[in-house]
Amino acid sequence: MTRLLGWLAALALAAGTVMGFGVAPREATQGNVQRIMYLHVPTAWVAYLAFGVVLAASIAYLARRRPGADRVAHASAEVGVVFTGITIAAGSIWGKPTWGTWWTWDARLTSVAILFVMYLGYLLLRGMIDDAERAARYCAVLGIVAALNVPLVHFSVYWWRTLHQPPSVLKPGAATMPTAILATLLVNVAAFTLLYVYFVAKRVRLLRAESEVLA
Amino acid sequence: MADHWNFVAAAYGLAILVLGGYWRRLVRKERELMTAGVQRSRHPSLSGHPRSEPASRHPLP
Repeated sequence: MTRLLGWLAALALAAGTVMGFGVAPREATQGNVQRIMYLHVPTAWVAYLAFGVVLAASIAYLARRRPGADRVAHASAEVGVVFTGITIAAGSIWGKPTWGTWWTWDARLTSVAILFVMYLGYLLLRGMIDDAERAARYCAVLGIVAALNVPLVHFSVYWWRTLHQPPSVLKPGAATMPTAILATLLVNVAAFTLLYVYFVAKRVRLLRAESEVLA
Repeated sequence: MADHWNFVAAAYGLAILVLGGYWRRLVRKERELMTAGVQRSRHPSLSGHPRSEPASRHPLP
Protein backbone atom coordinates (compact mmCIF):
# COMPACT_ATOMS: atom_id res chain seq x y z
CA MET A 1 0.00 0.00 0.00
CA THR A 2 2.80 2.43 0.96
CA ARG A 3 4.72 1.46 -2.19
CA LEU A 4 1.64 2.14 -4.34
CA LEU A 5 1.27 5.53 -2.67
CA GLY A 6 4.92 6.24 -3.50
CA TRP A 7 4.44 5.42 -7.16
CA LEU A 8 1.24 7.48 -7.30
CA ALA A 9 3.07 10.44 -5.75
CA ALA A 10 5.97 10.06 -8.22
CA LEU A 11 3.56 9.97 -11.19
CA ALA A 12 1.61 12.96 -9.90
CA LEU A 13 4.84 14.92 -9.34
CA ALA A 14 5.95 14.11 -12.89
CA ALA A 15 2.58 15.30 -14.22
CA GLY A 16 2.82 18.46 -12.10
CA THR A 17 6.32 19.21 -13.38
CA VAL A 18 5.26 18.69 -17.02
CA MET A 19 2.30 21.03 -16.47
CA GLY A 20 4.43 23.57 -14.60
CA PHE A 21 7.02 23.81 -17.35
CA GLY A 22 5.06 22.75 -20.45
CA VAL A 23 1.39 23.68 -20.06
CA ALA A 24 1.26 26.75 -17.81
CA PRO A 25 1.99 29.95 -19.75
CA ARG A 26 4.84 32.36 -19.03
CA GLU A 27 3.54 34.92 -16.55
CA ALA A 28 3.32 38.37 -18.14
CA THR A 29 4.74 40.48 -15.29
CA GLN A 30 7.31 38.24 -13.59
CA GLY A 31 8.36 36.06 -16.52
CA ASN A 32 9.35 32.42 -16.06
CA VAL A 33 10.58 32.90 -12.47
CA GLN A 34 6.89 32.78 -11.48
CA ARG A 35 7.06 28.99 -12.13
CA ILE A 36 8.55 28.71 -8.63
CA MET A 37 4.94 29.21 -7.48
CA TYR A 38 4.15 25.59 -8.52
CA LEU A 39 6.63 24.49 -5.87
CA HIS A 40 6.29 27.20 -3.22
CA VAL A 41 2.48 27.22 -2.85
CA PRO A 42 1.94 23.40 -2.79
CA THR A 43 4.69 22.90 -0.19
CA ALA A 44 3.17 25.68 1.94
CA TRP A 45 -0.25 24.00 1.67
CA VAL A 46 1.25 20.64 2.67
CA ALA A 47 2.95 22.30 5.67
CA TYR A 48 -0.45 23.70 6.79
CA LEU A 49 -1.96 20.23 6.34
CA ALA A 50 0.89 18.52 8.21
CA PHE A 51 0.60 20.80 11.24
CA GLY A 52 -3.21 20.46 11.17
CA VAL A 53 -2.72 16.69 11.37
CA VAL A 54 -0.27 17.19 14.28
CA LEU A 55 -2.97 19.22 16.06
CA ALA A 56 -5.67 16.55 15.54
CA ALA A 57 -3.39 13.62 16.42
CA SER A 58 -2.05 15.41 19.52
CA ILE A 59 -5.57 16.10 20.79
CA ALA A 60 -6.46 12.44 20.08
CA TYR A 61 -3.36 11.28 21.98
CA LEU A 62 -4.13 13.41 25.05
CA ALA A 63 -7.73 12.17 25.03
CA ARG A 64 -7.10 8.45 24.53
CA ARG A 65 -3.35 7.92 25.17
CA ARG A 66 -2.99 5.65 22.13
CA PRO A 67 0.61 5.35 20.87
CA GLY A 68 -0.69 5.25 17.27
CA ALA A 69 -1.93 8.85 17.53
CA ASP A 70 1.45 9.94 18.90
CA ARG A 71 3.24 8.21 16.01
CA VAL A 72 1.04 10.05 13.48
CA ALA A 73 1.75 13.38 15.21
CA HIS A 74 5.49 12.66 15.27
CA ALA A 75 5.62 11.62 11.60
CA SER A 76 3.47 14.53 10.44
CA ALA A 77 5.55 17.08 12.37
CA GLU A 78 8.77 15.73 10.84
CA VAL A 79 7.38 15.82 7.29
CA GLY A 80 5.85 19.25 8.00
CA VAL A 81 9.26 20.61 8.99
CA VAL A 82 10.77 19.29 5.73
CA PHE A 83 8.03 20.96 3.65
CA THR A 84 8.18 24.23 5.62
CA GLY A 85 11.93 24.36 5.03
CA ILE A 86 11.37 23.97 1.28
CA THR A 87 8.61 26.62 1.35
CA ILE A 88 10.92 29.12 3.05
CA ALA A 89 13.88 28.35 0.76
CA ALA A 90 11.81 28.44 -2.45
CA GLY A 91 10.10 31.66 -1.33
CA SER A 92 13.44 33.25 -0.58
CA ILE A 93 14.81 32.25 -4.00
CA TRP A 94 11.66 33.64 -5.66
CA GLY A 95 11.88 36.81 -3.56
CA LYS A 96 15.35 37.83 -4.71
CA PRO A 97 14.53 38.55 -8.40
CA THR A 98 10.98 39.82 -7.72
CA TRP A 99 11.31 41.80 -4.46
CA GLY A 100 15.03 42.48 -4.69
CA THR A 101 15.81 40.74 -1.40
CA TRP A 102 16.29 37.18 -0.14
CA TRP A 103 14.56 37.90 3.16
CA THR A 104 12.61 40.61 4.94
CA TRP A 105 11.12 40.55 8.42
CA ASP A 106 7.55 41.11 7.31
CA ALA A 107 4.62 39.44 9.08
CA ARG A 108 4.18 36.45 6.73
CA LEU A 109 7.85 35.53 6.52
CA THR A 110 8.44 36.04 10.23
CA SER A 111 5.38 34.00 11.30
CA VAL A 112 6.43 31.13 8.99
CA ALA A 113 9.97 31.25 10.41
CA ILE A 114 8.52 31.07 13.95
CA LEU A 115 6.33 28.10 12.93
CA PHE A 116 9.39 26.34 11.48
CA VAL A 117 11.48 26.93 14.63
CA MET A 118 8.61 25.80 16.91
CA TYR A 119 8.31 22.45 15.11
CA LEU A 120 12.09 22.06 15.04
CA GLY A 121 11.87 22.48 18.82
CA TYR A 122 9.10 19.86 18.87
CA LEU A 123 11.41 17.34 17.17
CA LEU A 124 14.31 18.25 19.46
CA LEU A 125 12.08 17.82 22.53
CA ARG A 126 11.22 14.30 21.38
CA GLY A 127 14.88 13.42 21.11
CA MET A 128 15.69 14.87 24.53
CA ILE A 129 13.26 12.85 26.67
CA ASP A 130 14.04 9.17 27.19
CA ASP A 131 10.68 8.16 28.63
CA ALA A 132 8.47 7.59 25.56
CA GLU A 133 5.17 8.25 27.36
CA ARG A 134 6.41 11.53 28.84
CA ALA A 135 7.90 12.63 25.50
CA ALA A 136 4.57 11.91 23.79
CA ARG A 137 2.64 13.91 26.41
CA TYR A 138 4.93 16.97 26.32
CA CYS A 139 5.09 16.92 22.52
CA ALA A 140 1.30 16.65 22.23
CA VAL A 141 0.99 19.89 24.22
CA LEU A 142 3.71 21.63 22.18
CA GLY A 143 2.22 20.28 18.94
CA ILE A 144 -1.16 21.85 19.79
CA VAL A 145 0.32 25.21 20.84
CA ALA A 146 2.55 25.41 17.73
CA ALA A 147 -0.32 24.51 15.37
CA LEU A 148 -2.26 27.53 16.65
CA ASN A 149 0.34 29.57 14.74
CA VAL A 150 -0.98 28.26 11.37
CA PRO A 151 -4.01 30.63 11.18
CA LEU A 152 -1.69 33.46 12.21
CA VAL A 153 0.59 32.62 9.27
CA HIS A 154 -2.33 32.44 6.82
CA PHE A 155 -4.09 35.63 7.92
CA SER A 156 -0.91 37.64 8.58
CA VAL A 157 -1.13 39.13 5.07
CA TYR A 158 -4.55 40.60 5.96
CA TRP A 159 -3.81 41.66 9.53
CA TRP A 160 -0.52 43.44 8.85
CA ARG A 161 0.95 45.37 5.93
CA THR A 162 3.31 42.88 4.27
CA LEU A 163 5.50 42.56 1.21
CA HIS A 164 4.06 39.08 0.64
CA GLN A 165 0.99 39.00 -1.59
CA PRO A 166 -2.41 37.89 -0.18
CA PRO A 167 -3.71 34.39 -1.07
CA SER A 168 -5.03 33.87 -4.61
CA VAL A 169 -6.83 30.55 -4.00
CA LEU A 170 -7.40 29.95 -0.26
CA LYS A 171 -9.60 33.02 0.16
CA PRO A 172 -13.31 33.88 0.06
CA GLY A 173 -14.65 34.09 -3.50
CA ALA A 174 -13.34 32.72 -6.78
CA ALA A 175 -9.63 32.21 -7.49
CA THR A 176 -8.10 35.20 -9.29
CA MET A 177 -5.83 33.52 -11.83
CA PRO A 178 -6.11 32.13 -15.40
CA THR A 179 -7.45 28.57 -15.74
CA ALA A 180 -4.17 27.06 -17.04
CA ILE A 181 -2.20 28.46 -14.10
CA LEU A 182 -4.87 27.43 -11.59
CA ALA A 183 -5.10 23.88 -13.03
CA THR A 184 -1.31 23.50 -12.89
CA LEU A 185 -1.25 24.75 -9.33
CA LEU A 186 -4.01 22.33 -8.26
CA VAL A 187 -2.28 19.34 -9.92
CA ASN A 188 0.91 20.22 -8.04
CA VAL A 189 -1.02 20.64 -4.77
CA ALA A 190 -2.50 17.15 -5.28
CA ALA A 191 0.95 15.72 -6.13
CA PHE A 192 2.65 17.17 -3.05
CA THR A 193 -0.28 16.09 -0.87
CA LEU A 194 0.19 12.51 -2.13
CA LEU A 195 3.91 12.77 -1.39
CA TYR A 196 3.07 13.96 2.14
CA VAL A 197 0.70 11.01 2.70
CA TYR A 198 3.37 8.61 1.39
CA PHE A 199 6.10 10.05 3.66
CA VAL A 200 3.84 10.03 6.74
CA ALA A 201 2.66 6.44 6.08
CA LYS A 202 6.27 5.28 5.69
CA ARG A 203 7.46 7.20 8.77
CA VAL A 204 4.59 5.86 10.93
CA ARG A 205 5.48 2.31 9.88
CA LEU A 206 9.13 2.93 10.78
CA LEU A 207 8.22 4.40 14.17
CA ARG A 208 6.08 1.32 14.93
CA ALA A 209 8.92 -0.98 13.89
CA GLU A 210 11.38 1.05 16.01
CA SER A 211 9.22 0.70 19.10
CA GLU A 212 8.90 -3.06 18.48
CA VAL A 213 12.68 -3.48 18.12
CA LEU A 214 13.31 -1.44 21.29
CA ALA A 215 10.61 -3.28 23.29
CA MET B 1 11.22 41.26 -16.74
CA ALA B 2 14.08 38.79 -17.24
CA ASP B 3 13.21 35.13 -16.84
CA HIS B 4 15.79 34.24 -14.14
CA TRP B 5 15.90 30.56 -15.08
CA ASN B 6 18.84 30.11 -12.70
CA PHE B 7 16.56 30.98 -9.76
CA VAL B 8 13.93 28.52 -11.00
CA ALA B 9 16.60 25.80 -11.30
CA ALA B 10 17.94 26.60 -7.82
CA ALA B 11 14.48 26.36 -6.20
CA TYR B 12 13.54 23.08 -7.90
CA GLY B 13 17.05 21.65 -7.47
CA LEU B 14 17.03 22.38 -3.76
CA ALA B 15 13.57 20.80 -3.37
CA ILE B 16 14.73 17.65 -5.21
CA LEU B 17 17.81 17.44 -2.96
CA VAL B 18 15.83 17.87 0.28
CA LEU B 19 12.94 15.55 -0.63
CA GLY B 20 15.28 12.95 -2.16
CA GLY B 21 17.52 13.13 0.90
CA TYR B 22 14.58 12.64 3.26
CA TRP B 23 13.28 9.69 1.20
CA ARG B 24 16.75 8.07 1.22
CA ARG B 25 16.95 8.57 5.00
CA LEU B 26 13.62 6.73 5.44
CA VAL B 27 14.76 3.88 3.16
CA ARG B 28 18.08 3.53 5.03
CA LYS B 29 16.28 3.49 8.38
CA GLU B 30 13.87 0.84 7.07
CA ARG B 31 16.84 -1.34 6.02
CA GLU B 32 18.52 -0.91 9.41
CA LEU B 33 15.35 -1.88 11.24
CA MET B 34 14.86 -4.92 9.01
CA THR B 35 18.44 -6.04 9.75
CA ALA B 36 17.90 -5.46 13.48
CA GLY B 37 14.65 -7.46 13.33
CA VAL B 38 16.35 -10.40 11.57
CA GLN B 39 19.23 -10.39 14.09
CA ARG B 40 16.76 -10.26 16.93
CA SER B 41 14.81 -13.26 15.63
CA ARG B 42 18.08 -15.23 15.19
CA HIS B 43 19.60 -14.26 18.57
CA PRO B 44 16.78 -13.37 20.96
CA SER B 45 19.28 -13.03 23.83
CA LEU B 46 21.00 -10.11 22.05
CA SER B 47 17.97 -7.87 22.31
CA GLY B 48 16.25 -6.43 25.34
CA HIS B 49 18.03 -6.74 28.69
CA PRO B 50 21.59 -8.06 28.44
CA ARG B 51 21.08 -10.05 31.66
CA SER B 52 18.06 -12.05 32.72
CA GLU B 53 15.97 -10.78 35.62
CA PRO B 54 17.06 -12.11 39.05
CA ALA B 55 13.78 -13.97 39.58
CA SER B 56 14.25 -15.99 36.41
CA ARG B 57 17.87 -17.02 37.08
CA HIS B 58 18.47 -20.69 37.78
CA PRO B 59 19.85 -21.43 41.25
CA LEU B 60 23.32 -22.92 41.36
CA PRO B 61 23.35 -26.71 41.74
